Order: sequence, then C-alpha cells, then structure tokens
Amino acid sequence: MRILFFAHLKDVTRCAELNLACGDVDTDGFWRKILNEHPGLEPFRGSVRLAKNSEYVGSDARFTDSDEVALIPPVSGG
Amino acid sequence: MQIEIQITTLPVPAPLPPPPLTGAGAWVEFRGIVRGEENGQPIAALEYEAYLPMAEREMRCILEELAAQRPCLFAKVLHRVGVIPAGETAIYAGVAGRHRAEAFALLTAFMDRLKRDVPIWKCRALTADNLAKLQAS
Repeated sequence: MRILFFAHLKDVTRCAELNLACGDVDTDGFWRKILNEHPGLEPFRGSVRLAKNSEYVGSDARFTDSDEVALIPPVSGG
Repeated sequence: MQIEIQITTLPVPAPLPPPPLTGAGAWVEFRGIVRGEENGQPIAALEYEAYLPMAEREMRCILEELAAQRPCLFAKVLHRVGVIPAGETAIYAGVAGRHRAEAFALLTAFMDRLKRDVPIWKCRALTADNLAKLQAS
C-alpha cells in the first residue's frame, strides 16, 4: 500500500510517502498499521480524513495493498 | 457547465479575459491573495502544497455538484502552489452565468467548499530573510 502524507504530517513522519504491506484492512486496521510505524501520528488521528485512490472515504472503507491511501489533515487552500 | 481547472506553480496572470459565451450576462471573478502577515507577524510569502490529482478532481466534483443547484455556463479555477510572495494571487476563480445571482452564489459556495474539502495546504510562512535565502539557493 502506498501511503501519502501532507503538510505538518510530513514533519511527523519525516517522509512524504511510505510503502507498507497492510493486507486487506478496515480503517481501524489501517490506523493500527500506520500508528505502529509512526506513533507520532496518534494526536492527529481525530482531525485527519482518509482518501483512497484520490477520493475521500468514510469509516466503513476497506483498503488493500494495491490502494494509494492519503492522510488528509485539515485543508487550508485559497 | 464547462469547467477549466489548473494547479500551477506559475503566477496567475491578471486580468484573465472572460470566455466568449453565448447567453452569458455575468462574469464574476475572485482572487485570493497572500496576506502579508500570519498570526500578527509580517511575512514575505506563503508556501502551498497540493495533493495532485485529488485536488483537481475534488474541485471539479464540487463545481459539478454546485452547478446542479445553481446553473452556470462556465467556471475557471487556477490555484497556485509552491512559494507565493505576499500580495500575489494564490487562487483565481471566475464563473460565468446568465445572470449575476447564480454566478455570485456558485462562486461563494465553491470557495466555502474549497476551504473545507480540497486537499491544498499552506504549509509554511516565510519571512523576508527566509524568502531571500530560498531565492538565492
């Protein structure tokens, strides 16, 4: 799974992307995997939205290793 | 509604001409510019980043969704990313409609949604010294 980080989350992870084998997981499973790699993301979990293959997904989403998953912190464009 | 979207590191030209559209009676434009202060402190620039292509896709989805309720003829959006000096345009949005009411309404609603949903971020503010060093490197 290709996982993307943006804005201040890149400062937490010290990288813009990560390839991680997650298998077939739901959102809780995804967060367990990513927090295992980067525990520093925990304080941001409540404000981060997930996007799968460039589309926002809800808490009922499932992810596989072929997906690109982006952690989207609160946006500030414009 | 015809839609043109561009996310670019290049400065946004001014002014942008309205498109030649049959039936258009209104061409409403908005420019968001980089404010020369952040949290009360003077700044020389802001650096923006975007998640491409999601940002472009999301802007298109929002415009299509809004146009279903506020029929307009054309929308053009340019969002600049990278380092943008204070006073320069970060976002340009223009909407053409048959009448001004729907064009103003669509543009306002679009900007509200952009600031909530489009994955673009102001990632750091640069002081004049920071900007000079960046430009010299």
